[in-house]
Amino acid sequence: MELVIETNNLTKRYGALTAVNKLNLKVQRGSIHGFLGPNGAGKTTTIKIIVGLLRPDEGTVKVLGHELHGGKNEGFLQTFREQADSRLGIGYMPELPKFPKHLKGSELLDIYGRMYGMTEQQRKEQIPKLIEMVGLTGRENDLIGKYSKGMQQRIGIAQALLNSPELVILDEPSLGLDPVGMVEVRELVKNIAREGITVFVSSHLLFEVEQICTDVTIINRGTALASDTLQNVSGLLTGPAMIHVEVAQMSQNIINAVKSLPFVSNVTQTGNSLIIQVTTHEDVRTQVSKEITRAGGIIVDMSQKTSNLEDVFIQLVSKDQEGKTQ
Amino acid sequence: MTATNRERPRPSWLPRFWAVVRYEMLWNIRKKKFIGIVIAAFALVTVDLALPAFFNVSENPDFAATFSVGNLVFFLIALVTVMNSISGEFESGTIVPLLTKPVSRTTVFLAKLFAAFVIIIVTYTVLFIYSTVGGIVVYGPQDNLQLVPLALIGNVISTFVWVAIILAIGSISKSSLFAALGGLVLFIAFVFAGSIIASVSNEAGALNYVPGGGATGALNVAQRSQNITIQNITVSMNSISTGTDNIGTNLVNYARYPSATVNITRTDVFSTPPKVIQLYTESIGLIALRSIAVAFAYILVFLFIAWFAFKRAQILE
Ligand SMILES: Nc1ncnc2c1ncn2[C@@H]1O[C@H](COP(=O)(O)OP(=O)(O)OP(=O)(O)O)[C@@H](O)[C@H]1O
Ligand SMILES: [Mg+2]
Repeated sequence: MELVIETNNLTKRYGALTAVNKLNLKVQRGSIHGFLGPNGAGKTTTIKIIVGLLRPDEGTVKVLGHELHGGKNEGFLQTFREQADSRLGIGYMPELPKFPKHLKGSELLDIYGRMYGMTEQQRKEQIPKLIEMVGLTGRENDLIGKYSKGMQQRIGIAQALLNSPELVILDEPSLGLDPVGMVEVRELVKNIAREGITVFVSSHLLFEVEQICTDVTIINRGTALASDTLQNVSGLLTGPAMIHVEVAQMSQNIINAVKSLPFVSNVTQTGNSLIIQVTTHEDVRTQVSKEITRAGGIIVDMSQKTSNLEDVFIQLVSKDQEGKTQ
Repeated sequence: MTATNRERPRPSWLPRFWAVVRYEMLWNIRKKKFIGIVIAAFALVTVDLALPAFFNVSENPDFAATFSVGNLVFFLIALVTVMNSISGEFESGTIVPLLTKPVSRTTVFLAKLFAAFVIIIVTYTVLFIYSTVGGIVVYGPQDNLQLVPLALIGNVISTFVWVAIILAIGSISKSSLFAALGGLVLFIAFVFAGSIIASVSNEAGALNYVPGGGATGALNVAQRSQNITIQNITVSMNSISTGTDNIGTNLVNYARYPSATVNITRTDVFSTPPKVIQLYTESIGLIALRSIAVAFAYILVFLFIAWFAFKRAQILE
C-alpha cells in the first residue's frame, strides 16, 4: 500500500502544552481519510506541520514521498525547497481561510495558479470550472473583501483544487457553510475522490466523516486513539450490540430459540418485545428472524442498533479523558 | 512504506517568482496609503522647487543634477512600500494560503523585495522627471543633466537602507505597527542624534557609519564657490553632507569634481557668534564610495535579518 502522508512520533509543543503527542499518522493513496477529534485535539496543528507552516519538535513527516522534517533536510537552516516541491502536488484549504481582500475571486485563483507554475491555457480552462464547481459563478469578479464567510470558504476549496493535486488537505471544509453548502461540500469531496485524488479532511462532525470517509483517524489531546478503515473503527465499540424485535404473539418457544443462537449473550422480554444482546458486530438480523419464524413467531418490527462512529468516538474520547484524570 | 512522488514536471522557478511579484504589485498599487504618499512626495518636490524661487533665486543651473527627494521622503516611501509587505501577511492571515503554494519562503521574500525595488524606482523616476522639468521651468537651462540618473540611483540606495530596516523589524515582530513605529523612532533618533553630534562633538566622522546625514563640510572647488545670500544668511552652494542620505548628491559631485577635497567642519552654536571649527579633510571620492559601502552594509545586514526571521517563522496565525 502506498502512503501519501506518513508521520512518525510527530510531536509539537506550544510552551508547556503538547498539542501533538507522538502521532503516527498514515494516509493511504486513494482514500478519503477523516481526521476526527474534539476541539483542541491537535488536528489543525498536525495539518500545519504537514503543509510546512509549523516545525515539529520531534518526529518525522513524509508527504508524497518528500521528507519534510526529520529527514536529510533537517538542520538549523532548513531547506524549504523540498517542501516547496512537495506542495506542487498538494491542495490545501486552511481552517477559516483568509485571502487578500483587494483581489477579485478570479484574480486570486489566477495568481495562485501562476504560483503553481500553471500555463495560461491551463488557468483559462481550470479557473471557470472551479468557480462553477464551488458555486461562485457570477461573483468571481467581486473583491474577496466583499465575500461572505461561506463564500470565502468556497473560494478556499476552489484554490485547493487548482493544481489538479494528488492530495487534497481540507481543514474543516464545512465550517461556516449553510446546510446546503455542507451537503455540496460532501458531494464535492466524493467527486474529488472519484478522480483518484486522496483526500485528508479534518472535522469534528461525526456524521460528515461517517458519510464520506473510507478511513478515519480519531485524535484526542494530540494522540491517535484509533486509525483504520471506517468499518474497522466503527467496529471498535466494545460491549454488546443489541437487536430489538417485536413479534405478534410472544411465546417461551421463541425466547428459547433465540437464546440457542451462538452469538446471543442475553435476551430480555417485555410484553411482545425482545431485546437481544449479541456479541458480534455483523448484521445477524436474518439469522435471528429465521430462528423466530421457525419457532412459530411472526415478526412485526425489528431493528439492530449497530455501533456507529459516534459511540466509538464518545467512548474512546471519554476513556481517554478518564485516563488523564487518574 | 512510502512510495515516491508520482512524476510531475517541476515547473521552472522564474514564472513562480513572477507570480509572487505580481501578487505583491497588485497589493501595493491598490493600497490607498501608497497613493497618498506619492501625492505627498509630489508636494514635497514642489516645495523644493518653489522655495528658492520664493527667496528670489531665479537661476541655478545645478538644480536638477543636485536634486534629492530628501531623507523624509526616503523614509516615508520605504515605510509605505514595505511596512506591511511581510508583517501585513501575518496580520491578515493571508500568509497561510501564500506559503502553502509551491513557492519557497526565500522566493516569496525575494519577490517582495523586488516588487519594492520596482515601485521605488518607478516612483523616483516620476519624481525626478518632475524635478528636472520643474528645474528647467523655474531656474532656466540645467547643466549636467546626464548626471540626473546617478542622483536617482543614489536616492534609491538611500531609501533601501530604510526598506531593509523596516522589513527586518516587521519580519521579526510580525507587526506592521511595530515596523512603522520602530522605523520612525530610529529615523528620528538618527536625525536628532546626527545633528546634535554634528554640532557639539569633534567626532563627527563617526556619523559616517550610521544611516542618516553624516558629517557636514564644504567642497573645495573654485568653479563652484558662488554663495547665495538671502537676507544676511549665506547658503553655501558647495556644502556637503557625508551620510547615507546623500549618496546621490555625493556621487554627482564625485562625477563632476573627481579630485576635489572636502573640509569637514562643525558649527559651534554655543559660542557667540557661532564659529565654524575645522575638523579634517578628505576626498569627495572617499566620501561618496564610503557612504555607498556603509549603505550596502546596512542593507545587507538588515535584509539578512529580515530573510532569516521570515524563513524561520512558525505560522501560528
Ligand atoms: N498558536 C498557538 N499558541 C498556543 N497554543 C496553541 C496555538 N494553536 C493551537 N494551540 C493549542 O494547541 C492545541 C491544539 O490546537 P489545534 O488548533 O491543533 O486543535 P484542533 O484539533 O484543530 O481544534 P479545532 O477543532 O477547535 O479546530 C489546543 O489546545 C490549542 O489551544
Ligand atoms: Mg482546527
